[in-house]
Amino acid sequence: MSGGIDIRYSEVDKFFNRRHLLDGLSLSLEGGAATLLSGENGAGKTTLLRILAGLEKPAHCLVDFTPGEAGSKPRPWSNCRKQLQRRVMYLHQQPYLFDGNVIRNLALALPRTLPKAQRDKKIRQALEWAQLEALQDAHAKTLSGGEKQRVSLARAWLRQSRILLLDEPVANMDRESQARTVSLLRRLKNARTALMIASHNHAVFYQLIDRCLILERGKLIESQAPLLPDNVTPLAKGNAPQSESAGNAAR
Amino acid sequence: MDSLGDATVQALTLLLRGDGELWEIIGISFRVSLSAMSIAIPVALLVAFLLAHLEFRGRRLLISLFNTLLSLPAVVIGLTVYLLLSRQGPLGDWRLLFTQSAMVLAQVMLAFPILVAMGHAAFQAADQRAWETARTLGISSPQAFIMVVGEVRFGLLAAMLAAFGRIIAEVGASMMVGGNILHHTRNIPTAIALETSMGNFAQGIALGIVLLIIAFILNLSLQYFQGRGKLSV
Repeated sequence: MSGGIDIRYSEVDKFFNRRHLLDGLSLSLEGGAATLLSGENGAGKTTLLRILAGLEKPAHCLVDFTPGEAGSKPRPWSNCRKQLQRRVMYLHQQPYLFDGNVIRNLALALPRTLPKAQRDKKIRQALEWAQLEALQDAHAKTLSGGEKQRVSLARAWLRQSRILLLDEPVANMDRESQARTVSLLRRLKNARTALMIASHNHAVFYQLIDRCLILERGKLIESQAPLLPDNVTPLAKGNAPQSESAGNAAR
Repeated sequence: MDSLGDATVQALTLLLRGDGELWEIIGISFRVSLSAMSIAIPVALLVAFLLAHLEFRGRRLLISLFNTLLSLPAVVIGLTVYLLLSRQGPLGDWRLLFTQSAMVLAQVMLAFPILVAMGHAAFQAADQRAWETARTLGISSPQAFIMVVGEVRFGLLAAMLAAFGRIIAEVGASMMVGGNILHHTRNIPTAIALETSMGNFAQGIALGIVLLIIAFILNLSLQYFQGRGKLSV
């Protein structure tokens, strides 16, 4: 599973309306491991992910990009914000796709200097990877939530992001779309991407995750086992896309 | 009413015949206003973007200031530029008073708050996720800015059209700092004011028709772009 820690955050502090939302917490993310971030509404899950991705300023935070290596030293968040934005990919609860078709949105994840032939090849591979071939010319604004999520995951795949943070990635999705999303996440994880998923929907990710962190009163508590409600059946191991009827049958 | 009808017929004849003086005035109007727009747009859009995306002390005060400047009369801007460029003024050495450059400067000052206020509204209406997604895709800040501009292009075009409509039709500032000199600084609105005061209604109406056509084309464009903007959301 693990291949060493890819990034380590420590002393993460954040205040919101004079409340200590994140209270000096620390966490590490490692390639090929999936972490579920759980917690009540308003606990600060989204804020934490945004801080980790370099999108929201914390009161205090230290970041170490090469923890454990000789000479490695944690640096203040404000000194490595741009580096975080480049290295850590954050997917919003409702992924944002730019005006234009699916191909244009995928192309944005590739370096501009890439020759056209290579660019086209990679986009074709990404379309195939996320099973988006039929939608390649569809306008981004016309896609469903599940399809948008697949496009954004294909962008993460194209970018070869080592660290991927997802905020409620399967909210408001039908069971088939949830299964497709989990399937893509599993492939990213197998490709050694570190995943951190903030979600209330533990059952969907039950088979994917390696550990579960609970954010409570500004602190992270590690759960020994993922929280799976007794009355919910997890998606099948392997998480191949299922039809709606298959999903209903499983229920 | 007869004199109005006669003047309109004469005005159309002047326009269609290609009256040199008339078309020169129209040319000066466009040269000055388009120059002012090309100077104001890049800076104003950057200011609008920063006001929408950056949190800093005094931000709200600046937004209120630009919104207040929207209602500033053109003559006040004309007076300010006049005092700046007059011989005793701080920029008197530039010797720009009663030149097209002075008119451009006044029109930049007129267009700037419109572009900032409407541009800010457009950027604020833009989804915050656009900027963040661009950054997490590894896109540089300048490129991400261009992408966000692309996402709100219809709102920004509306701001540009509104600003252009205001400056091409304003008379107070152009008259004060341009001086309404034939072949040099006489533009459409100052010419209308002069011709009307001299009783040359035909020329005044001809220029008025040109202004109306410009206003119509701008409004038509505005409707078109606003419609496109709604469709693309």
